[in-house]
Amino acid sequence: MMRWLIFLGRVALGFVFVYAAYTKLFEYTAEGWRQLPWISFAATIQSYKVLPEDAAMFLAKTLPWFELALGVLLLIGVQLRWVATAASVLLLTFFAVLVRSYVLGMNIDCGCFGPGDRLTWKTLLRDGLLLFMSISVTVGAFLTRRKTADVSALTRAPQPADGRSE
Amino acid sequence: MSRGVRGLRVGRVICTALLVLGISGHLIAQTQAKQPGAAKNAVAKNSSARASAAPVDITALKAVGTKAAPITMEVFSDFQCPACRELYFQTVRPVIDNYVSAGKVYLIHRDNPLQQHPHSREAARYANAAARVRKMEKVVVALFDKQANWAADGNIDGVVAAALTPAEMNQVRKLVRSGTLDAGIDRDLALGNQFRVTQTPTTIITYKGQTYPVVGVVTYNMLKTFLDQLLRQ
Repeated sequence: MMRWLIFLGRVALGFVFVYAAYTKLFEYTAEGWRQLPWISFAATIQSYKVLPEDAAMFLAKTLPWFELALGVLLLIGVQLRWVATAASVLLLTFFAVLVRSYVLGMNIDCGCFGPGDRLTWKTLLRDGLLLFMSISVTVGAFLTRRKTADVSALTRAPQPADGRSE
Repeated sequence: MSRGVRGLRVGRVICTALLVLGISGHLIAQTQAKQPGAAKNAVAKNSSARASAAPVDITALKAVGTKAAPITMEVFSDFQCPACRELYFQTVRPVIDNYVSAGKVYLIHRDNPLQQHPHSREAARYANAAARVRKMEKVVVALFDKQANWAADGNIDGVVAAALTPAEMNQVRKLVRSGTLDAGIDRDLALGNQFRVTQTPTTIITYKGQTYPVVGVVTYNMLKTFLDQLLRQ
């Protein structure tokens, strides 16, 4: 049961991360698909007023690709404990920044899923749910791993030479 | 191979297949929604919108710089929006000083009055009237500078009058009362829809036929980095 919940959680999170990256990186226009310029996302990051300009520009160029990598790794399920931990840390950071901006009454774009996504209480609810899901997957991944490790240790325990159990 | 390992492998294959299916489905849906015909219509509409303004080239009157500049920047703005004011003073003015003056950028003001701002369309009418008497820049500066005042009391006429000579102001008032300026504002709004402008300020940067949308307030240093990067291409 737990394995299935982790599976569903990581697949859902994986799709969310891949979609979030896609909305920041690509756009369909009359001429076809094209990569979006980093400057639009940089302007959104800058509107939160938490980072210096250079850091905002660096983040705008790298964060969408990092989200894409996280999403793909979550979908594939490789190194789930560490990937889920990274996703949780990232979502926790996003959530903290969003709460701060909302409390300060900043009328800005969330930037979570491309341009035009305003920061409202619904954004906080959505990101809070994602954070909860991510932390659950992370904890689940560690617990499952520990159980598997315990079982392997038991099966590998040395047996008495005469075959009698103690 | 143990049952658990086989299960995990099957799970990974299902996930990868779902990912591929999801992305390709999304791409197909978007491609169908925007057939080449629709794109051609959009371009045709755009051209006709520009052509219908032919008797008075209002776009040229609302622009600064030379049309031959390699980069065109169209700023979709609402005079009552505080973020547009911030963008104008923090970014657009330095761009005019450093890039427009150097012939690198052709800057066009586009009106995008938002419905939630009761005085923004009236302010846009005054700015468009000022453009026709070739005093747009002066009026834009005055409108953004005194934004808090006229947004509170609606006295746009007073703010514009303070920025112009009495003769210029008479011409502007005549044009505003004539009721002919809304068509130009609506043309900008229609153009904004084509560029999918959903909020102000939105800047559309065009270079070598490629358009780059920038939503929100971008600082001058960021924009400078981006413009320099484009010019190096």
